[in-house]
Amino acid sequence: MATSPTPTNIREDALADVPGAAPASGAPIRQSNLWKDAWRRYIRNKGAVVAGAIFLLVVLYCVIWPFVSPYTGNEVDFTVAKQGPSLSHPLGTDKFGRDLFTRTAEGGRVSILIGFGATLAILLFGVVYGSISGFIGGRVDNGLMRFLDALYGLPYLPFAIITLAIIGRTDMWTMMIALSIASWFTTARIVRGQVLTLKENDYVRAAKAVGARWHRILVRHILPNTLGVLIIAIFLELPAVILGEAFLSFIGLGISPPDASWGAMAQEGRTTYRTHPIEIVVPSVAIASLVLCANFIADGLRDALDPRTRET
Amino acid sequence: MLKFIVRRIFWTIPVLLVVIFLTFTMMRQIGGNPFRHSERAVPEAVQRNLERKFHVDKPWYTQYAYYVKGVATLDLGPSLVLRGQTVNDIVKEHFPKSIELGVYAFLFALVVGVPLGMIAALKHNTSVDYGAMFFSNVFHAVPSFLVATLLIYYIALKGGALPTSGWSTWEHKIMPSIALGFAPMALFARLVRGTMLETLQQDYVRTARAKGLRYRRVVGLHVLRNSLIPVVTAAGPLLGYIITGSFVIELIFNIPGIGQYYVTAVNARDYSVVMGLTVLLSVIVIVANLVVDILYGILDPRTRDARA
Repeated sequence: MATSPTPTNIREDALADVPGAAPASGAPIRQSNLWKDAWRRYIRNKGAVVAGAIFLLVVLYCVIWPFVSPYTGNEVDFTVAKQGPSLSHPLGTDKFGRDLFTRTAEGGRVSILIGFGATLAILLFGVVYGSISGFIGGRVDNGLMRFLDALYGLPYLPFAIITLAIIGRTDMWTMMIALSIASWFTTARIVRGQVLTLKENDYVRAAKAVGARWHRILVRHILPNTLGVLIIAIFLELPAVILGEAFLSFIGLGISPPDASWGAMAQEGRTTYRTHPIEIVVPSVAIASLVLCANFIADGLRDALDPRTRET
Repeated sequence: MLKFIVRRIFWTIPVLLVVIFLTFTMMRQIGGNPFRHSERAVPEAVQRNLERKFHVDKPWYTQYAYYVKGVATLDLGPSLVLRGQTVNDIVKEHFPKSIELGVYAFLFALVVGVPLGMIAALKHNTSVDYGAMFFSNVFHAVPSFLVATLLIYYIALKGGALPTSGWSTWEHKIMPSIALGFAPMALFARLVRGTMLETLQQDYVRTARAKGLRYRRVVGLHVLRNSLIPVVTAAGPLLGYIITGSFVIELIFNIPGIGQYYVTAVNARDYSVVMGLTVLLSVIVIVANLVVDILYGILDPRTRDARA
């Protein structure tokens, strides 16, 4: 029986509202709620914990290192061009003599910001579209889902490229828009599925029976229960967006040098990989590590938040 | 079953119309009138003739109707930049190479990924399983341009075994196909392993074993067939994957396919080509999804009613 000095458990809060039902202070109450259970399950999954730690490390490196570094990402110094790893340049330098360790951190800031920005936008679109579709149901649901089916026919990369062409300029913000517009469909579908199932729950019927209005049911009873799925969706969408940024920039239609992003760095590395491959290897490994960790985190979260779907 | 197939095929028609409409609308947002802001000074009469010829003077819905008619009759219109070239010419020239590349990549993914997943499942929770899953996780995360450049660097430049770029002899086709097939291979391995583990625990597998059927036969006959269903369903989304990948791979290996030309067309602002190629790629994705749905319906009869 786990006891906690500060009981902040939902069940207790609920009881506290009922006069006479409040538990005697100090009485042992089993501390158990969804998030604590999920956290305990997640911690037990070693792969997911390691992935989470590496993920945090990479993000922290990108955020902090540019402040600490003796170089800046755009500091050109031809006397040290194309060097291999050394003490003063841990990952070597590129063809302009820029320190790759610093430039990778700066590029990572852009890539990760695009990743999280676009992922948030995807969740927002997805939740709004999916919950409208699932909650209203019937013909509206049918129409919205059929429209979504049609959108699935649009290939991802060309769709993002055209969106960028419409906006007419390419920077971090427009990349976020383009990548999120091209990939919110799956999240919308998942949310709609969740809402459809949750709608049938007894507590929703009960809420309806006592006269709760639709927006209260949606916001108080249904959407909070989709949170688990959404958290998983973050780590499913993030790698896709980061790879999307990398591909777009790599083919020269995304972030373009001298601005750094991991994709833009890989694009620059493409011109010199025959003599100096580390220039393309470094940003690629950075991308791969983040994507790999995100995949593992997503798996761990899925197992932790929804034990029913656990793989054998 | 026939009813399901017919219904499913009919359903693709509005989907195609919506997709063409979306592409059309998006391209209009960028395009404007391609002849009005021309860099060449064109006499008034010629301009009006041009506009009439390409229906630019008509309202948007008429233009859309013309475009749909064009797509339906397999005519994607002229290129705006290359004089005398139609989008069809460009498709004819570049598309077969991309298809070839995609097919080889898919075959590579299938031939390597499926056995890898099978072995991992049969040797569940051994070092073989862990190794296979670790590598397929890593390969799924590594961007294809890294795989491609490393292949070129070590095999073509250092080893001198294969040519670095181009698309003529079979030697040219090996590395691009592997580079493009890497991520799908990893995906296949994971999918096959997952379903195979599930299938191995089914009652009918136990029954087959209990009645004395040899292990190989059980795996080959009962388990493998059912484990391949997710491979079929993954083929739809995978096609998008391969299209995206081909943009990158064709650029690195300098393959004159549709992906590389798409980028050229975007940079040259040849919007009729961009639009034509986008519609073409969409049609392929839609048709692939259609085929996957029908195959899925055949393989797993339970899904027919739900999907129809």
